[in-house]
Amino acid sequence: MHILLIEDDTDAATYLIKGFTESGHVADHAADGETGLHLALTGNYDVLVIDRMLPKRDGLSIIRMLRADDRFTPVLILSALGEVDDRVEGLRAGGDDYLVKPYAFTELLARLDALLRRGQPVHIQNRLKIADLELDLLTHKVTRAGKLIRLQPRELRLLEFLMHHSGQVVTRTMLLEQVWDFHFDPQTNVIDTQISRLRSKIDKGAEKPLLHTIRGVGYKLDESA
Amino acid sequence: MNPRRLLHTTAMRLALRYALFYAVLIAMGLGLLYLSTNNYVDAYIAAGLEQEIRQLSKLDQEQGRQQLKAVIKAQSRVNNKSGRYYLLDEPHSLSKTGNLLGWPPQFKADGKVKNIWIEDNLISGHNDDQDGYWPVIAVTLTDGSRLLVAQGIRQSEDIQEFILATMAAILAVSVLLALIMGWRLGRNMLEHVDRINETAQKVTVGDFSKRIPLSGQDDEFDELSNHLNTMLNRIETLLSGMRQVSDNVAHDLRKPLARMRNRIEITLLENRKGDEYRHAMEETIHDMDELMRTFNALLEIAQAEAGSFRGEWDSVNLTDLLQELSELYLDQAEIQQQTFTSSIEPNLIIDGNRHLLAQTISNLLDNSFKYSKDTGSIHLKAKKIDNLIHVTVCDNGTGIPIEQHEKVLHRFVRLEEARSTSGNGLGLSLVKAVADLHKAQLTFDDNHPGLCVSIIFRL
Repeated sequence: MHILLIEDDTDAATYLIKGFTESGHVADHAADGETGLHLALTGNYDVLVIDRMLPKRDGLSIIRMLRADDRFTPVLILSALGEVDDRVEGLRAGGDDYLVKPYAFTELLARLDALLRRGQPVHIQNRLKIADLELDLLTHKVTRAGKLIRLQPRELRLLEFLMHHSGQVVTRTMLLEQVWDFHFDPQTNVIDTQISRLRSKIDKGAEKPLLHTIRGVGYKLDESA
Repeated sequence: MNPRRLLHTTAMRLALRYALFYAVLIAMGLGLLYLSTNNYVDAYIAAGLEQEIRQLSKLDQEQGRQQLKAVIKAQSRVNNKSGRYYLLDEPHSLSKTGNLLGWPPQFKADGKVKNIWIEDNLISGHNDDQDGYWPVIAVTLTDGSRLLVAQGIRQSEDIQEFILATMAAILAVSVLLALIMGWRLGRNMLEHVDRINETAQKVTVGDFSKRIPLSGQDDEFDELSNHLNTMLNRIETLLSGMRQVSDNVAHDLRKPLARMRNRIEITLLENRKGDEYRHAMEETIHDMDELMRTFNALLEIAQAEAGSFRGEWDSVNLTDLLQELSELYLDQAEIQQQTFTSSIEPNLIIDGNRHLLAQTISNLLDNSFKYSKDTGSIHLKAKKIDNLIHVTVCDNGTGIPIEQHEKVLHRFVRLEEARSTSGNGLGLSLVKAVADLHKAQLTFDDNHPGLCVSIIFRL
């Protein structure tokens, strides 16, 4: 994907650009708000990564300008401010996701992937399907190779989220935020537990597992891996 | 005490204002009194004159003219302490008897008291009376003679002067009293204010242990001083907390930083295989994640502890929140072969910040799971008792000795027994900060064995 990074910390930006490139993306960098806004308005980007505090023009105002101009490129806000209302403020300004420094690069990448998926036109589908795993969104029926699987409501939401982002890595914090609406960090591995429970239900007895753990990052629902 | 300052005190200014106000009020009152007294004196004099002229007329009728003349002469001679003047004018014999030397011009003898101008030359010399409007009465006797009695005004002037002098004295005394009162009040207030000022100056210079001494009179100044002292206590606690935190942060972060530095340094000492580099870097990333977690926890605590919370504040459905958390931890318990049970009453709703509350309860559950080992049983309970909502997490783990209950709330504090487990010693600090933010009470109870931690929210 084509990423625009607006970040005034050039050292950090260099690493990020390198990371994006090595992950197979094309990335541009702007070091201040004005340049960033100009690039965002003229370039054709799939996703924008914008630092909140920037010289010349702050990050939130860039997003407001873009949204006022009817440009709905997904935006991920980077911030050194970790307070809850900052997150709310950022999302209210038109940001799509919010990440607080310090963050893990894998987390950033996973969230960008998720955003891009969100940016694509969503076909109204009643049915999500990966390999022989099927989820009917209307009846909430889950089948694996035609066999019915009983899931708890929360497991269903977890599976639905994973299926919407199939083929992508999703992190533990993403799951906590999206499936549970918790913006915190449990010390014990409660998410791992939830995942292994879900895995035991959908992958049990199947010849090819679908739900994979990506070490140090998160999980991926994928038929090829 | 500087008199200029005293003059500028509120009390002194008030006193001056009141002194002026009362002076005017008293002057008005006394003025009325003066007028009515004057009227009374006038009436009294008039009555006296009427009575005298009646008696003299009667004397003239019953005992004859000679007797009347004798009396008038006698009265005129008595060095006239009453201040009365007499005149008997007998036109047929052209004789005038009395101590008034002439008939006042155009004064009619009609038996009514009038104020008539009496010239100096009518007044015989033996008195200090001066010309002026005198009350005078005159009658015509049976033979056409006229009899006149007048009252020298010296007496009524004396009375007037006495009244005026008294009034002036009362005024002076009341103004003086007001000033003395104002001065005393002002000085009293200045003493109080000076005590506060002195303390404020010392605190400003950096001595945060100074407190304002109380007068012990339990007055509004003591109340103010008490409030200021409470404020100073809070500031001192916050400051020492901050100092302690930055000390602890520096101390606690140095260890993992040193560890990371050493690891990388030692890895770079020799040429190693690719796997070894990878391993070292992965370990470092793991350590850094721990550091980030610590930082985030510190930030969160700071955010919750800040006097004016800036985050979201909504009505939070505790029942839903706790049920979602239970769901998460139920599976956790299964895997760790611990027992987790919960009893959560429906419709528990409080005002607060959902995220911080979730983090708080999760910290308590994490602790319970961590310190109650394999056979642990953990119970989450939420119920409403009167207007309080009790949220309690109990376990049968190692517990916290009662003398440590206060201590574990401080940042980075980890008990000896807990050193072997992972953790940063910030969990309960956050719980405490969030409880305080929600004006909730945090209590620890012994679960024999284990620990019950309750957060008690007020509705």
